[in-house]
Amino acid sequence: MSDNSFTGRSEATKADVSAIQVDDPILEMRDASVTFDMDRGESRVLDQVNLDVQRNEILGVVGESGSGKSMFASALLDAVVDPGTLSGDITYHPDPDRSVDVLDLSPEQLRELRWEEISMVFQGAQSSFNPTTTIRDHFEETIEAHNYDMAQGMAHARELLEDLYLEPDRVLDAYPHELSGGMQQRALIALSLVLEPNVLVMDEPTAALDLLMQRSILSLLNDLQEKYDLTVVFITHDLPLVAGLADRLAVMYAFEFAEVGPADEIIRNPTHPYTRSLLKAVPNLDTPLQEMQPIEGMAPDPVDVPEGCSYHPRCPLADDVCRASNPAYHAVDDSDDHVAACFHWEQASDVLSLTTDGETEHAEIVGKQSADPVVSLTDVDVHFEQEADGGLLSIFDDPDLVHAVDDVSLDVYENDVVALVGESGCGKTTLGKTSIAAQRPTGGSVTYREQDVWDAKDGVGDVETPFEAIRRSLQMVHQDPGGSLNPNRKVQASLEAPLKHWNTGMDAEDRKERVFSMLEYVGMSPPEDYAGRYPHQLSGGEQQRVALIRALLMNPDLILADEAVSALDVSLRVEVMDLMLELQDVFDTSYLFISHNLSNARYFAGNAGGRIGVMYLGEIVEIGPAEEIIANPKHPYTKVLKWSTADLEVDQDVEEPPISSIDIPDPVDPPSGCRFHTRCPEAREACARQQPSLDEHASDDEHRVACFREYDQSHEYWESEPIDDGESTDLFADGSDAAEIESDD
Amino acid sequence: MINSYYVQRTAQAIFTVFAVITITFVLIRQIPGGPTSYVRSQLAQQSGSVDMEQINTLVEAYTNVRPDEPLYVQYFNYITSVAQGDLGTSMYYSTPVSEIMAAAVPWTVFVMSVSLVLTFGIGISLGALTAYVEGSRFDVGLTLISIFLNSIPYYVLAIILVYALGYQLDWFPIGGLVGGDVTVGLNLGFIASAIYHAALPIASFVVTGFGIQALTMRGNSIRVLGEDYIRVARLRGIPPSEIALQYVGRNAILPMYTGMMISIGFMFGGSIIMEEIFAYPGVGYYMFRAISASDYPLMMGAFLIITIAVVLGIFVADLTYGKIDPRAGQGGNRESY
Repeated sequence: MSDNSFTGRSEATKADVSAIQVDDPILEMRDASVTFDMDRGESRVLDQVNLDVQRNEILGVVGESGSGKSMFASALLDAVVDPGTLSGDITYHPDPDRSVDVLDLSPEQLRELRWEEISMVFQGAQSSFNPTTTIRDHFEETIEAHNYDMAQGMAHARELLEDLYLEPDRVLDAYPHELSGGMQQRALIALSLVLEPNVLVMDEPTAALDLLMQRSILSLLNDLQEKYDLTVVFITHDLPLVAGLADRLAVMYAFEFAEVGPADEIIRNPTHPYTRSLLKAVPNLDTPLQEMQPIEGMAPDPVDVPEGCSYHPRCPLADDVCRASNPAYHAVDDSDDHVAACFHWEQASDVLSLTTDGETEHAEIVGKQSADPVVSLTDVDVHFEQEADGGLLSIFDDPDLVHAVDDVSLDVYENDVVALVGESGCGKTTLGKTSIAAQRPTGGSVTYREQDVWDAKDGVGDVETPFEAIRRSLQMVHQDPGGSLNPNRKVQASLEAPLKHWNTGMDAEDRKERVFSMLEYVGMSPPEDYAGRYPHQLSGGEQQRVALIRALLMNPDLILADEAVSALDVSLRVEVMDLMLELQDVFDTSYLFISHNLSNARYFAGNAGGRIGVMYLGEIVEIGPAEEIIANPKHPYTKVLKWSTADLEVDQDVEEPPISSIDIPDPVDPPSGCRFHTRCPEAREACARQQPSLDEHASDDEHRVACFREYDQSHEYWESEPIDDGESTDLFADGSDAAEIESDD
Repeated sequence: MINSYYVQRTAQAIFTVFAVITITFVLIRQIPGGPTSYVRSQLAQQSGSVDMEQINTLVEAYTNVRPDEPLYVQYFNYITSVAQGDLGTSMYYSTPVSEIMAAAVPWTVFVMSVSLVLTFGIGISLGALTAYVEGSRFDVGLTLISIFLNSIPYYVLAIILVYALGYQLDWFPIGGLVGGDVTVGLNLGFIASAIYHAALPIASFVVTGFGIQALTMRGNSIRVLGEDYIRVARLRGIPPSEIALQYVGRNAILPMYTGMMISIGFMFGGSIIMEEIFAYPGVGYYMFRAISASDYPLMMGAFLIITIAVVLGIFVADLTYGKIDPRAGQGGNRESY
């Protein structure tokens, strides 16, 4: 960054700084910068930020990864990690008349400010707890360290845990790893509130959880905020997630705020081109499929932020002014609340139009799937044995049987796309692995082109297709692209390995040619450059492309994409899914796409005319054409999932979830009858006794639902009494055993 | 079904010991110049005439095996007597092996346990200290010293110590368990004399052994210091001393626990040479004597004791790790579903 753009920027922000002030600030940030000295220059990861946080508001801070939003969070507590240096002014107002200069506190005063006044929740709850001490110890040592009254403090802790629908006794005595991801995150929120702080800073607190849990936590957070008069700063990459929760939104780009304003203003009338592009890039359930498009280009490097407006390289409106000088904040619509840092804020809405009216007709997309199944699952069960953990005395206990998949039948056709959707622990990954013959089912059969896969492996009967050929035809792309590539091998070597093994006819030159052409095809050019890199030298999106190529080099008939886009940035997801669909056309392959996110599933399956299957506790409860499932969900659980997939609607308050228990029941001992009845708002007594099936009821062949509500009026469901779950304790009564489930998402 | 982990581990331990006994038996029978021919040649030298029956009786007396019986009967007899604690009779000392071992084991265990505690105590403390001041001159210096000391073989240091401090300076005794003038029992003089005599063997183990532990601890601590929960704990205002002990120390030591148990076996093995150098009559000393004198029963007995010690160390490590680290024993075979 050159000096003149730097001064230009500060003048500009100072000129119009009043624009982001609020009436009653609890935190004021002025000219705050965070810098790191690096070998290749000074890395400025927070760039002269000016922002006020209003007392008792929920402020949503949104940005892509690497936009500096975590630095903003750390700066509020003066907790920037070494060797970063924080400069500027941060003022905290415990009440309107008092002010505390956060950056001027003694270590002891700072220690008291943190957690007692301003508290923080981090992203990975699992890694925020000391793995070798119980949750109770965490609470007790925090209370003790701040000289609070222990009995009172623990009573408050119990109250908080109950507010978060956790059983205090059980959770306090547990070690962190014994809780599910959602429980850990809620326990962490309780821990951050135990000293009754005024401000809660949350850095991506729900990013590692599945959508339903995210939305449930958000609605609990809303209650907590009201009950304890909290000011919440909620930092996330997921704009739709906070849209309904936040009072104000602040959009970060390139280490500063691009646009700040009331949440409904930002959603209805986004003014900065970046905000508009961000809204278009997010897959959601209302926008027609054709409307979504990724943001071109990459987020800037903190060492080398573009001169002028930092967004100009990616902005369709950019002109010479943008390239030369940095824009100041302009008030939008004469309201001081809503400001955007853009020269062309008036034209942005014309150039980048957002069709947000949900009335657009869903275009009918017809897939190209054939009538013959490639892989066919019949009545498949997968049960795992889980050791009872009771120490030496439990030697003679029976191991628990985890019902990961129960009695599932599914056909995947050629050129088909099937998206499996469900919460963590619902068995979707296990079902996926079973489909590609990576997991042996404990019951039922898996056939590949009418050859039983495990008979082929064991050599039972006449084996027409050898297991090696089946193995080659069924490939997998993992969630974490970085983890699935060997860090010590270059891209070239990783991609050549399968060719060497299976295509012995190819010589070194052919292989190189093949790898290069594939890299070029997925847009990684020049291929010579990319082939010579190690995985850590690639971005997340590029790593996922390499993993995809590696699977495709085998010419597979079916690829299992297990949360393949979940780890990517929002703006990249659409791009990678588009690429996968494009490659389907070229390579004639089918996809089994696993996601906890209904909108990703809808985008992926919908664009290929595929199906969505909804899984709950090891069973498929609803399956049908993608658009049909989205537009007309029939199973109560699908409706819950749809609810959890936040729309860009600000009007709808964060309402109570249409579900009567947040945590998923223990798959060791699944509920009797319909497995969903313990959480189902429509459950009646018949549901606890009988199990609805996908096949029997009178629905059409394509869209099938396992729910008594789809049965005709003569079914006893309609006569039986609703299950009363009025007691609030019921909310966690059934989920209490879910702790053993580890999140795989 | 039974809880398979503990059963599996117990069965594995028993099988290992059993396999060692079997190999011992095979060795006795098959090695050329084995005990049978040894006894035979001894008798032939003594009396000139060789009576087969007499040889067999003598061999049986020493090794618990009668050479003229069928193989499976010999094997059965051998296993039975070992199970009863009868390890045969030493040919060199003409005393039952179990008696020699019973006298020797406590001394070896004494030296081993003190060495182990000191090695890990010093290593862990220094490692944690260097991790906290990572990159400082103290860290660099100590790391260098650790690597240097760790690269010296313990027996080389032992010889240097016994030569310099024992023979030249005469500060320490050059052999024996205790001084001749103390009465055996729990009195101060006896304990002081025992420590005095064991000081050099312990020193050579500790000085050459703590370095690797310090380096491991340093690495583990630096990794733990980078964990999110340390940052969260600091933000929560937990006192630094508590973070150092409860957070860093505990999580950094846990991965070293199994290594500590395994090094029990390593030290028992090392005691063979160590006790010979210091003329310290423990298990290793007798083992060395047995090897040089071709005293097969004693050799096998000592070998068996060392094996059982190693197996027991690892077995205890396996069983107790789950108690020490709450995460172990649960997550190992968990499938993600």
